[in-house]
Amino acid sequence: MATRKPTGSASRATARAAADRAPGVRDAVIVGGNRIPFSRTGKKYSDASNQEMLTAALEGLVARFGLQGERLGEVVGGAVLKHSRDFNLVRESVLGSSLSAQTPAFDLQQACATGLEAAINVSNKIKLGQIDSGIAGGTDTVSDAPVAVSEGLRRALLDASHAKTLQARLKALAKVRPADLKPLTPSTDEPRTGLSMGEHQAITAARWGISREAQDEIALASHQHLAAAWDAGFFDDLVTPFRGLTRDDNLRADTSMEKLASLKPVFGKSLATSSEAPVEPTMTAGNSTPLTDGASAVLLSSAEWAAERDLPVLARFVDAETAAVDFVHGHEGLLMAPVHAVPRLLARNGLTLDDIDFFEIHEAFASTVLTTLAAWEDADYCKSELGLDGALGSVDRARLNVNGSSLAAGHPFAATGGRILATAAKLVAAKAAETGRPARALLSVCAAGGLGATAIVESV
Amino acid sequence: MTAATPATGAGDPLRVESLPTLPGLGGLYARGAASSGRIAAGRALPGLPVIGYGRAGDGDDDGGGTLVLPDVAYQVTGVATAGMTAHLHDYQRLLHEPVTDVLSAGYLHVLAFPLATAVMVRPDFPLPLLGMVHLANAVELRGPVQLGDVLEVRAWAENLRPHRRGVQVDLVAEVRRADDPAGVPVWRGVSTYLAKGFEAPGTEPAGVTEPEDAAEDRAPVGTWAPPLPTGRWALGPGTGRAYGAVSGDRNPIHLSALSAKAFGFPRAIAHGMYTAARALADVGHARGEAYRWTVRFAKPVLLPGTVDVAVTPAADGVGFDYVGWNGGRRIKHFEGSVTPL
Amino acid sequence: MTDNYTKAVNSGFTKTLAKKLGLPRPAILRRHRAGSPLTVGPVLVVSDAASRPDADALARTLLGWGVDVRREPTDDARWGAVVLVLTGAAVPTDVSGAVLTTGSVLRSLAPSGRVVTVSRATTDGDSPELAAVRQGIDAFVRSLAKELRFGATSDGIVLTDDAAADDPTALATLRFFLSAKSAYVDGQLLPVGPTPDAARAAETATTPDHATERPLAGQVAVVTGAARGIGAAIAKTLARDGATVVCVDVPAAGEALAKTTNAVGGTALQLDVTADDAGTRILEHARARHGRLDIVVHNAGIVRDKLLANMAPAQWDAVVAVNLSAQLRINAQLLAAGLEGLRIVSLASTSGIAGGKGQTNYGFSKAGVIGHTRATAPLAAAAGGTANAVAPGFIETDMTATIPLLTREVARRLPSLQQGGQPVDVAEAVAFLVSPAAAGINGQVLRVCGQHMVGQ
Repeated sequence: MATRKPTGSASRATARAAADRAPGVRDAVIVGGNRIPFSRTGKKYSDASNQEMLTAALEGLVARFGLQGERLGEVVGGAVLKHSRDFNLVRESVLGSSLSAQTPAFDLQQACATGLEAAINVSNKIKLGQIDSGIAGGTDTVSDAPVAVSEGLRRALLDASHAKTLQARLKALAKVRPADLKPLTPSTDEPRTGLSMGEHQAITAARWGISREAQDEIALASHQHLAAAWDAGFFDDLVTPFRGLTRDDNLRADTSMEKLASLKPVFGKSLATSSEAPVEPTMTAGNSTPLTDGASAVLLSSAEWAAERDLPVLARFVDAETAAVDFVHGHEGLLMAPVHAVPRLLARNGLTLDDIDFFEIHEAFASTVLTTLAAWEDADYCKSELGLDGALGSVDRARLNVNGSSLAAGHPFAATGGRILATAAKLVAAKAAETGRPARALLSVCAAGGLGATAIVESV
Repeated sequence: MTAATPATGAGDPLRVESLPTLPGLGGLYARGAASSGRIAAGRALPGLPVIGYGRAGDGDDDGGGTLVLPDVAYQVTGVATAGMTAHLHDYQRLLHEPVTDVLSAGYLHVLAFPLATAVMVRPDFPLPLLGMVHLANAVELRGPVQLGDVLEVRAWAENLRPHRRGVQVDLVAEVRRADDPAGVPVWRGVSTYLAKGFEAPGTEPAGVTEPEDAAEDRAPVGTWAPPLPTGRWALGPGTGRAYGAVSGDRNPIHLSALSAKAFGFPRAIAHGMYTAARALADVGHARGEAYRWTVRFAKPVLLPGTVDVAVTPAADGVGFDYVGWNGGRRIKHFEGSVTPL
Repeated sequence: MTDNYTKAVNSGFTKTLAKKLGLPRPAILRRHRAGSPLTVGPVLVVSDAASRPDADALARTLLGWGVDVRREPTDDARWGAVVLVLTGAAVPTDVSGAVLTTGSVLRSLAPSGRVVTVSRATTDGDSPELAAVRQGIDAFVRSLAKELRFGATSDGIVLTDDAAADDPTALATLRFFLSAKSAYVDGQLLPVGPTPDAARAAETATTPDHATERPLAGQVAVVTGAARGIGAAIAKTLARDGATVVCVDVPAAGEALAKTTNAVGGTALQLDVTADDAGTRILEHARARHGRLDIVVHNAGIVRDKLLANMAPAQWDAVVAVNLSAQLRINAQLLAAGLEGLRIVSLASTSGIAGGKGQTNYGFSKAGVIGHTRATAPLAAAAGGTANAVAPGFIETDMTATIPLLTREVARRLPSLQQGGQPVDVAEAVAFLVSPAAAGINGQVLRVCGQHMVGQ
């Protein structure tokens, strides 16, 4: 294993470097998190709106930490698929919660990285002293996704509404063609390429030669780990049931390699004939994340704010790095941005992969995790694409998504960041309590548009 | 007019005929259909001379059976683009171009196309407009053309030559700035068409991929190995009508399954230039303000349909190559390149 | 939450019809509202001759509470309550005058009126006469409760261990029985001991006035099974009385738990009480988040009704684990932690007294609660605390709503009050038992059953 040790850092070096460089910047800590169980689209939450789900996630968090009537510094979150009426989704959710109505809020959106980006925002404001406390959240529903009118109908309706006379209005409406009446449903296709995320990842997986078996192993581990965590009560203080659902309903505790192997591929079916990477399709519904509904929220604060309220502190939000890749013409895989972000994040904090106790790598697809790991182990790639001296190193699989991830839990886009962050914070807190030594987790979330967000949390 | 006397690529001088405005394409298709009928009828009737090789009126007085291109260049001056904003933006939205005031190479093709078509529907144009197959296109854009620029457009036909299945001909169009009519054209496009069933002596040039009329879904699965795609276009049934509306090219083979069937296609087919312009748009701003844009058409894209495309940096590191194909059936639809100049 | 039958026979045409047909007409019970008077009318205080000093002392206290107190019956009054003081009665004939005076005013007892006796418990060494009169009062109260109509109740305070009639605990009990908070407590005699000195000192120091609306201010209470039903009502009532409430329920009930918690401004703890370390985790949570733990209400409970012949092991074991073993384990962990002045209330059931068909498991567990409460009481008292139980009868909850309609309707009409109780009725009893002023009540079982005709 070729592990790169950036700038002479000692192993298990403290990650306070960033804070040390910026006098006056204080710690942002993670108090705890809450989410509702994630549900496969069209099932338990089929009539739940984003606002209802996010409000439920907030209410569970408020109840857990006794925040009724509390005026927080800010609540930041978002949804990837959002109705136009939800322009103030997070603020409306706050108003519907038991938090003080004087708690400000704003929406942000960075595709699947929305939740983690929200946490980055909140933690930065806390570090700068602009706020003392905040909640980072996210919600998404495909069941209750917005359905838009066609571009032709939309333009005609807009023209008609702008028209001054009845005649002009009728003229505008007369432009509507029967085909324009067909509603537009949101898709997960990349706008710039027209390829679905799954097809993009199938291409990346083919390039990296990721096998079907390796993907199914990741999927199996995800289900087994998540089921074990549920059974151990790990989520007792991270999840509040919603609409009668008490566990993530995508979880298949009884799945097996045989069952996973029996599934038919759904992505990359046409790649078998390709001249560049002629591989049989490998990506199935079993090793790809299903469309899911859900919401999550994480409470962050300054250490002082938490102490004043006798609130627990799980971890420090150490640092974060986002990245983007040029995927449009196939130079890099769509979901490879975290591969680029992590080396920069580690280097800035004087850390190596060996300094990480828990890797929380969002499983958009099993192959996303595998291409990420493969890329970090590939010296040529790390040199040419990441500008490193050699391979970044290997990730100890025993530290990877130890309590399951999106393949088992599901992935309501904007809610995943909160799920991962709360899980990671609790993991490092427990590990530190057990070993008496600081523990660290690396978080990685890939996102549409060639985006990625990564972060480090460390026990306090 | 101070424009230099135009000539064909082979140096043959052309007579310039000025038209007052760019012709509307609707009328041209009516005329094209009429003259196509005449030409087709002439071919079918026994006793009429076989279309041969040579120039019209060079002594053979039996009705001009030899294929001779008119030595005429149509020209329209003072083409004001200022009023084209809405049209340009409609084009840009349809082709997935960013909506700007810059006239892309594809839009200039749309602008010049009616004039080239006008050449093809002249009574002395020897080939039928309807049924001609667009084989390839090569465009050079030498600099940005903006809304508000006043342009001069010219078009003529040249380089009639044999093809394995008939004859091919280049329709050349040039766009100049009105304030520099003698200069290098800011845009130059060469559209190569095939007229099937006609004959011309000589050998078929190598390297030209021949498009097939045979529908892809009737064709056997190909053996060609495509590259990894970088994109996928889901083309709806109205794609041909939409591009027809914005380009004016309402050739019936693009408009509906019914009208396409009349010409031997199972369904409507996408305009070749629509697919080429989508590829051009996919290259994005990396193409710069001046570029060479080529396309060679293979099998037509049936509508509705899905086209896998790969738009990738060219092997030599300059510009982009692109190719479009049917992912399920391994059938290549088109390929080309976009090279910054 | 009043059931439809009770609503129907109390309003409009159906009321007239029910009257004519002689159908049972359960009253709409008066329940506590902040700021409303203690009783609905004047209070008549009567006694036998020997009890006169105690009666005088109680009358003075009632006056101090702002109650209109009378010592003689008058024709014009619509009585809110009769307080029958019999603490000094020595032989059976002593009580007849006061009892008959009480009887003379019953026709003018207001709806939801009260008859409260104050007497002394029999003890070893009592003379036969003394024991007779003291024991006689027991069934007098229970019989009278069955005669009273229109939501009026009859309950008794039974002073033990030489507790003074105006001992703070006795006064708090009198206040509870007189008030609308005891709406569904009927035919009950509650043994009341002297307030321990430590509690008395704390009482005078912190809540000098019994009328305070927030007797639990500054205290931290844990309520298990708090997500819904009786548990939620207990959480809300304790919060109303000033406590900070830690709401505990199984993780699966988290959504309702969050609602309850946010309504009471407490903190939610998703925890299965059958976990081995449940008591420790409850204490950790309470201490870490709120700095202390003063009150524990063991409300979490389940039913798995089945005839014993058909009982699956899981059905028996689950009921015993949740309803009984969890309470024992949590109590042991909390008492071992050395909590000072811990007040424990466990939810028992009338099924734990009289049993119920198909409820061998449930009855066992709830009788077990009564048993361990008596045994825990001295352990709690050693650290200045108390352990009591509340035994609800038929309470209108989501749980009882699943009982088949006919069975449910019969169950509702069986008690003297001819209706099911509300969750808040149980909650008021709990809040009373954990209040600082009730420190002299220990090891007791208070039934909240509308005088259901089962058991004692």
